[in-house]
This record gives sequence, structure tokens and C-alpha cells, in this order.
Amino acid sequence: MAKRNIIEKAIDWSRRKSPWIIHFNAGACNGCDIEVVDALTPRYDVERFGMLLKGTPRHADVLVCTGAVTLQTRDRLKRIYEQMPEPKFVLAVGTCACSGGIFEDCYCVSGGMDTVVPVSAYIPGCAARPEAILDAVVKLLTSLEKSQKAIDN
Amino acid sequence: MALAIFNILVFPGFLFLSVYALALEYVDRKMYARLQNRKGPPWFQPLADFIKLLGKETIIPADVDKPVFKLLPVFTLAAVTSAFLYVPIWGTNSLFPFEGDLIVVLYLLTIPTLTFFLAGWLSNSLYGAIGSVRTVTQLFSYEVPLFMALLSPAILADTWKISGMAEFYQAHPLYILLNLPAFIVAIIAIQGKLERVPFDSPEAETEIVAGSFVEYSGRLFAIFRMAIAAELVVVASLAGAIFFPVFAANPWLGFLIYLLKTLIIVAILAVFKSIMARIRIDQMVMFCWRYLAPLAILQIIINLLLKGVLPI
Repeated sequence: MAKRNIIEKAIDWSRRKSPWIIHFNAGACNGCDIEVVDALTPRYDVERFGMLLKGTPRHADVLVCTGAVTLQTRDRLKRIYEQMPEPKFVLAVGTCACSGGIFEDCYCVSGGMDTVVPVSAYIPGCAARPEAILDAVVKLLTSLEKSQKAIDN
Repeated sequence: MALAIFNILVFPGFLFLSVYALALEYVDRKMYARLQNRKGPPWFQPLADFIKLLGKETIIPADVDKPVFKLLPVFTLAAVTSAFLYVPIWGTNSLFPFEGDLIVVLYLLTIPTLTFFLAGWLSNSLYGAIGSVRTVTQLFSYEVPLFMALLSPAILADTWKISGMAEFYQAHPLYILLNLPAFIVAIIAIQGKLERVPFDSPEAETEIVAGSFVEYSGRLFAIFRMAIAAELVVVASLAGAIFFPVFAANPWLGFLIYLLKTLIIVAILAVFKSIMARIRIDQMVMFCWRYLAPLAILQIIINLLLKGVLPI
């Protein structure tokens, strides 16, 4: 593996320090969405980690997705994911997003988030707590740092 | 020649402006966070955002005018940086002062608004189009009060030169108190120009996603963000030079005073950002024409009358 230069290292560092998120509801009951919104309030202060909520997928790095993917939203989810510029990550928030939850094998549901887009981190819970969401983001960033360090060594 | 190039590219030109823009963005965000009783971003946050956006993929939509789409962010940054060269930094004199540079600076500061309009309009997105129309609607409401508020101190000082105004008010420091209505109008109109919170309906992320910048990503968006942050620095420097006429002969001391002045203006703007909610575009237009413009006209009348009375 070739040694990476300082510019690539700086870009890696900045990616860990500034994950901008976009929130998408793929068919959740709104429970997890309330928790995601809760995690964005001043009480939890996600800006400590450099996270900002962005409205457009063009500006976002992390797609925070809730709910089992219904057949209605499947194409929309795929399109939102494709509209995001590389590199991008997907967080599956809540049990339904992880596996389909109680909607598994339902006639109108495609299943968990990973049946449509590649998922970077799963956050179980019904609904997932804001602390769990923040913990997942921090773990995702730490694992990113580890893999970046592993490339260097 | 070499000195002029150094001045334009390094200090007080492009490099200093970029670094100070990132620093002021941090101060703004940190103050906003502290006023909301949270910890806020770390000091390197604006830098990390900037580098990250530079390193990201840049998506250009298929049906846009590609050269113009790519050129607009650079054009914005260039206009803002050129405006900065005519604003005094460490003394009463700016880098290249001439009679009428106040008008040139105001004109150059209007260019970003027009490029925001073009950016949204050309990106072939519905949200972008709505944001663009709002940007221009807002331009027509704050621009007239802002121009009148910044030009009425010039009437009293009898010069269109920013450094001339600075010298005049340094010689007569108490006269600046007469410009208090103009200062209030300018601070409110500046928030419209910078599209900050009470007047941020052009890029209201909760209703029209991101307004004009909805299709911009990666490197192009990074330059746009840098231009917006730099615009804050230029506007704060301009307001500081006109409304806080405190300058020092010693360049180091003068530079410290300059930092203090811009920080005060950014602090005022951050407080407004945290205590206000967004107002609708029609409310914004009504407020500007019904209250701000008459107040600015009143200031001009006061200054015209005082010019005959005061010993100058």
C-alpha cells in the first residue's frame, strides 16, 4: 500500500470531523423520527461532533434513515442515496430500519434498509434513543478513523 | 508592484480574508451555541467543513449550463475579495483609496446576491428557483435602506471615500452618535444581505431545502460557503469602519482595534440570530419598506439639516 500524502490525510481528518446529515423517513411510524429530531436539539448538541442537519442530499455525508422500506419509498430512497456525493454513509435508525422489524414479510414492505442501500451502521431500538443515535455516529466515525489508520500502517 | 501583489493575495487580501472568514464563522457558530446553552463546535470546525467539501465529489446536474454553473462560486468569491481591498483594516486608509470607493464596495457587495440568484435559477431545480426569486425580492427590500444608511454618514462627512469618512469621524468622534438611526438600519439590513436568521427565507432549509444552493455540492459549494463567510467579514469591516470611527496610528494597535470592531458586529449578529425566528418574505418586504426605509430617509434629512448647522 502506497503511503498517502498529507492532503489525503487532511481530507480523511476533515471527513471524520464534519459529518453532515440528512434525515429520511422510509416508512417509519414517526417514533424514530421524533427521536432523530430530539437528538438534533440543543440538549444533545450534535454540533460538538461537527454534525449539521442539511435539507438537500447534495450537501449531506450521512443519510439517517428510519423505518422499514415500503415499496412506495424504495425508489425514492434509492434516488436520495444516489443524489448524495461520494463518500457517503447510511445509518439505519430503529429496529424496522435494521431488519424490517414487525413489518418483516409484510406484503408492501421490502424489508430493512440494507435491502435497498448499503448500510454503515445499525441502531436497534423501538424507538432508538437519541443517546443511541449519537453513540452510533461516534462509533461510525471512530471505525472510520481506525480503518484510515490501518491503511496508513 | 510586488508589494501590491502581496497585498492582494496575502495580507490584507485573499489569504487573510479566507482565514479571518473561517475564524469569524467559528465565533458566530460558537456564540450561537453558547446562547442556546450548548457546547458548540470545536475551533477547527469551519476549516474541517471547508476541507471536507473540497474533498467531496462534485455533482453537476445534466441539464445546467456547465461553464456558468462552475464559474458562479468563483465569481462570488472574487467580488467579495475585491470589495475587501477598499475597506480600511489597520488605519483610516484602505489599500487603494479613491473618491467614490464606498459606492464601489456597495456595488461589489451586491454581486453575491445576483450570483445567488443565477445559481438557483440556472440549477433547474424548483427549490432553487423559489430561493432565487426570494433572494431578489429580498434584495429589493433591504438594498435601498442599506445604501441610504451607509451613505448618510458620508453626507455629513462630505466625502464618498471610506478613508475620508473615517478621518472625518475620527476628528469629530461625537458626530457618530448622530448616525445612530443609520447604524440600527444598517445592522438590520446587513442581516438581510447576509441572509441571516430573521431574513433567511431565501435559503430556508425547512421549507425550500437550501434555496439557491440546492444543486451545489463538493468543491463548488465549498467556494460558495467561503464567499458567504468572507462577505460577513467584509460587511462587518465596512460597518466597523463607518460606524465605529476608532483608529490608531500604530498599525498593530490599529489591527487589534479592527479585530475588536468586527467581533462586536458579529456578536450583535449572533445575538439576533439566536433570539429571532425566521419571518416570511412578505413580512420582510413590508418591514423593510414600512419601517427601515423611512428611518433611513429620516437619517438623511437629519444629516442634511445638521450639515448647515454644525461647525465642520
